[in-house]
Amino acid sequence: MIGYRPGDSPLHRAHPYTPLALAVSLLLAVFALGSPGAVGAAVLAAVILAAAGGVLGYTARPAFVIGFTTWVLLLVLHGLLGPGPFLAAGPLSLSARGLHRALVLGGRLTTILVAFLTVLAVVSPARLVDAMTERGVAFAKMYLLVSTLTLVPRLRARAAQILEAQQCRGLRLGGSPLARVAALGPLVLPLVLGALAEVDEQVLALDARGAGRAGRRTALDPPADSALQRTVRWAALLVAAALFVAKVAERAQ
Amino acid sequence: MSAPLLRFAQVTYRHAGALAPALADVTLEVAAGEIVALTGAPGAGATTFLLVAGGFAPRLIGGTLEGTLHSAAARPGIVFAAPWTQLTGLCQTVLAEVAFGPAGLGLPREAVRAAAERSLERLGVLHLAERDPATLSGGELQRVIVAAALAQDPDLLLLDDPAAELDPAGADALYALLPGVAAAGAAVLVATPDIERAARVATRAVRLDGGRVVADGAPATVLTDTPAARIARSAGCPAPLPLDAEALVARVAR
Repeated sequence: MIGYRPGDSPLHRAHPYTPLALAVSLLLAVFALGSPGAVGAAVLAAVILAAAGGVLGYTARPAFVIGFTTWVLLLVLHGLLGPGPFLAAGPLSLSARGLHRALVLGGRLTTILVAFLTVLAVVSPARLVDAMTERGVAFAKMYLLVSTLTLVPRLRARAAQILEAQQCRGLRLGGSPLARVAALGPLVLPLVLGALAEVDEQVLALDARGAGRAGRRTALDPPADSALQRTVRWAALLVAAALFVAKVAERAQ
Repeated sequence: MSAPLLRFAQVTYRHAGALAPALADVTLEVAAGEIVALTGAPGAGATTFLLVAGGFAPRLIGGTLEGTLHSAAARPGIVFAAPWTQLTGLCQTVLAEVAFGPAGLGLPREAVRAAAERSLERLGVLHLAERDPATLSGGELQRVIVAAALAQDPDLLLLDDPAAELDPAGADALYALLPGVAAAGAAVLVATPDIERAARVATRAVRLDGGRVVADGAPATVLTDTPAARIARSAGCPAPLPLDAEALVARVAR
């Protein structure tokens, strides 16, 4: 499941910028790290973040579903086709450098997936809107970000409705793989066309309710922030930036 | 009649890519305080009329406009028949959803909250304030969307089949609100097939056919196709015909 999951964890209660800053810091840091051990530590940090938000189980499944194919591809491509020296693994001969590369790339992907799925699960879009409104972020930028964050749950809810409606009208979902593929048409077409049609009315409705007005909006219920949280955010971002600078300096030598 | 809020002078509007105009050679004026019922068969152009009147077409949806359109409305509000397409998608509570409009006016937080609560109370849905809009029924959501439009204190309120999701009592309550909105100085335009309810509150009616205004006048002279009017006509009642069941019963009782 991808999307916000109500809860009362420290991350749920935190200012929305705090989990976002931690996830962005992990993203920057993991690209600055080059060894499987260091990337493994970043994966662990992302897992701790998810656990702190009480959403580890919630994020593990989509992270696995999304990441598994990439992990397999990375191991096959880099492990089997990478340069020598080679390690014997039963009947296979695996490239040591290729495996190293696959572990780093796979670890980066896992870190990013777990960190951002955690952000999606613990940051309420409504609180994020209030936080951004309070900081004077332009409505268009805010809408773009929040509608992207909520896209998956909204599409999933709509797809479920369409599926139920089509099943009521006789759509059968079982059968051969070919029949299953054929059943996608009555789901996907209304999903896409319906979303496009609704966008028109939503644009009109937002405009009529003053979304395009110039000037600062009032945040109805801005989330509380604290000096501690601000310090944590800046510290995390500075550590990530320092790792990045060190990596660039190392490459320059 | 006060100075017109809206003035259409030979306005013709075509949707993008359409050959036939959705509005053709429309000339009329609407003043603040009027409640205008727009009627016509499906496709007659009533929804398009609202979009053009509110300045949404062609500005937001494209198309071409010929003729002269003058609008003095500073805060148009529009409500469509399908309420779920009018949610912002950004708010977790009904109160925040209704407060979205006033929040854009730069008012203090307490004033924004008060405007939203007042509007919810007006629609009889203040008890839904802390609910997630996504969990409301169609009728509840329709009232919330109307409350959201009213919370901005619109000077031009455009309603497109606003009672489509409401039960009869809810529809009656919604239409009963309109005279108060008009009395506060707004012009109200209602496009609706529910001409019986519209006839009870409208101060004027406009019938469209093929995008053209074919009748414009007092509801009693334009909205002559209500079920009650048809019964009265077939019973040989003289004009003006009763437009709703209550008026018909009163006429028969006489």
